[in-house]
Amino acid sequence: MTAEELGIDKCETCELVMRAPHDESACPRCGERIIARATSRSSSRCWALLIAAAALYVPANVLPMMKTEQFPVRRSDTIFSGIRFLWSEGSWELAVLVFTASILVPLTKLLALGFLLVTSSRRSTWRPRVRTKLYRVLEVIGHWSMLDVFVVSLLTAVVQLGRFANVEPGSAVLPFASVVVLTMLASASFDPRTIWGGIKS
Amino acid sequence: MSEINLDELPAPNVHRHKRGRPSAIWIVPIIAIAAGAALAIRTYLRAGPTIHITFESAEGLEVGKSDVRYKNVPVGKITEIGISDDLDQIVATVELNRGAAKLAVSDTKFWVERPRVGVGGVSGLGTLLSGAYIGVDVGTSADTTDHFVGLEKPPGVTHDQRGKKFRLLAHDAGSLAIRSPVYLKRQQVGSITELALTADGKSVEIEIFIDAPYDKDVTETAVFWNSSGMDVTLDAAGLRVDTQSLTTVIAGGIAFGFRDPAHTGAPAADNTRFTLFEDRARAMAKPDTEKLALAIRFDEPLRGVAAATTLIDFQGVQIGNVDDVRLGYDAATHGFYTDVAATVYPRRLGAAYDALIAEGAPTGRSGPEMLQALVGRGLRAQLRSANLLTGSFFIALTLEPNAKKLTVAMKDGAWTVPSERGGTDQIQDQVASIVAKIDRIPFDAIGNDVHDATHAASSLMGHIDRDVVPDTKKLVGEAEIAVEALRDGLAAIRDNVAAPDSPIQQAARTTLDELGRAAFSLRGLGEYLKQHPESLLRGRDSGPEPH
Repeated sequence: MTAEELGIDKCETCELVMRAPHDESACPRCGERIIARATSRSSSRCWALLIAAAALYVPANVLPMMKTEQFPVRRSDTIFSGIRFLWSEGSWELAVLVFTASILVPLTKLLALGFLLVTSSRRSTWRPRVRTKLYRVLEVIGHWSMLDVFVVSLLTAVVQLGRFANVEPGSAVLPFASVVVLTMLASASFDPRTIWGGIKS
Repeated sequence: MSEINLDELPAPNVHRHKRGRPSAIWIVPIIAIAAGAALAIRTYLRAGPTIHITFESAEGLEVGKSDVRYKNVPVGKITEIGISDDLDQIVATVELNRGAAKLAVSDTKFWVERPRVGVGGVSGLGTLLSGAYIGVDVGTSADTTDHFVGLEKPPGVTHDQRGKKFRLLAHDAGSLAIRSPVYLKRQQVGSITELALTADGKSVEIEIFIDAPYDKDVTETAVFWNSSGMDVTLDAAGLRVDTQSLTTVIAGGIAFGFRDPAHTGAPAADNTRFTLFEDRARAMAKPDTEKLALAIRFDEPLRGVAAATTLIDFQGVQIGNVDDVRLGYDAATHGFYTDVAATVYPRRLGAAYDALIAEGAPTGRSGPEMLQALVGRGLRAQLRSANLLTGSFFIALTLEPNAKKLTVAMKDGAWTVPSERGGTDQIQDQVASIVAKIDRIPFDAIGNDVHDATHAASSLMGHIDRDVVPDTKKLVGEAEIAVEALRDGLAAIRDNVAAPDSPIQQAARTTLDELGRAAFSLRGLGEYLKQHPESLLRGRDSGPEPH
């Protein structure tokens, strides 16, 4: 038996158990906002952030991430060309790391969150435990995508040797950082209770 | 846990929310999409067309490193270097910037800029540090294309250079090279942009570019000549050294001028063709409209006669040059002969040639035929020394009044002139015979004779000393006695002649008196005749006798 089946809900702040609200409501005891499970606005909030992240994911991958000048070679690398360069240079372990952190994780987050949102809104009954686990994993790995941004910011600060060696952030840094932040916000705004919405106990 | 009575539970305070209005959170994706779209549009706008350029070699070019520069501004980058399908060339794939899309027209030129060190100067030094890049000179065509054939050398002229191109046809290129200067009055006004053999391989076509405003100075009557290096000519006129500038000595060059500076004509059009003469003298010579081959056979050796430099002289006028000198062997006479082939320009004879043509006109004979007929009047070719110092020769065509009357026909359209042993030969023969005579003088014998004679003379002197001098002393003594006797004789004469009463003196005085009287009578006669000149004819009248 779930709280939803019983038609009850509780205040997240003062733990007061009350009748399940059908709309945006407030706790009668402490006045805190009660998010109605049925008409969760959390999903729309999550959708909005997810779409924003997806929109910025394209420029983040197409535009150059880092401009390096190591005399006499000038390079301008996107995330993917940087990975390819690392791979061709023989640092395949680094390539794998950067690939995982900068491409795989954000992409996984976008797709997984989308999947969770779709299944929840359809009140899907497909493996809710797996989906819940997936959500928890997303929350954990979310922070690690910032690796690339950290690398660029560090190198930019350290490698400033004028004409001989120079690193400048590319125009993809901002969209990429936004993607990471937005997906983190999206996953935070996701209400895992909705996974269980259609599940009968 | 006890049963929960739903009705006992408190109800939440329901806020009637403004339904149907979307939450403010949707601004975030809108901003994100807008930002993404803006970035995408900007990237799209910045990306220009992708073009392919073929080159002979990719030397110095590197993907990601080499860029494409127009006026030294990067306008694109090499994204790929591959090999053409026929494996003969490399294909550089270049991504041009959006703003540089206008460069991709069909007559745009691409070349690889590398450091180049040539006699004309040093270029592309900057590429030593930056590495090679692809240079661009934009074309003017309106057709866009994405396949280009790259040049191996930078073009001599870029499209925005103002001036005109001209084409020169030269016999050979000499030391000319691309970027060699073009001079007008020893002032550089342009340079060579292209140098290539013509399709038949017989001559060289040179494209020059004359910078504005000097392009106006190239008129239809301009003559171009090769001023490369030092023009040292050693010909019948002696030694001549001619040069435009120090650069032309090393790098070669072209100069132009006018045969008649007063009449230069209208400026020539772009791409006008001119002839490039080998030197100034040839360029300045009057154009030779009429050519005539001349064939002469010499029996004498022609040392010092060379093609192109030996002149043909007709009665003092230089009418052509020797083209070829060939030694032949005559099996019939077992002798060697020399055939000289030359080209002459009969128009150089001027009015004389016109007169010859006029003379031949009634009988229907042409100018060359009239020249050929001169052989019948004794025209002969002679090898003459032009300059004893340099030992050069010229071939003189002269009318020899005493020459045998010959009738020689034209051979293969060539004016055939018999030869005669020339003045040089005669001088040489005379000198040789003089030398032979000198040679025959027995200088040894003469020397011996002189020696003998000296010896004899010295022995004679000894003899005189020994035998004659004593006798002479005796003779002097006798002479003294003779002088004494002479003095006595003279004293006797003085006594007889110079004394006032000597008979000789008497006789002389009487004679002088007689002479005085005779003179007096003559004076009387003179005065009478002055008064009576008629008496010379009529005799004396009865007048008083003169005194």
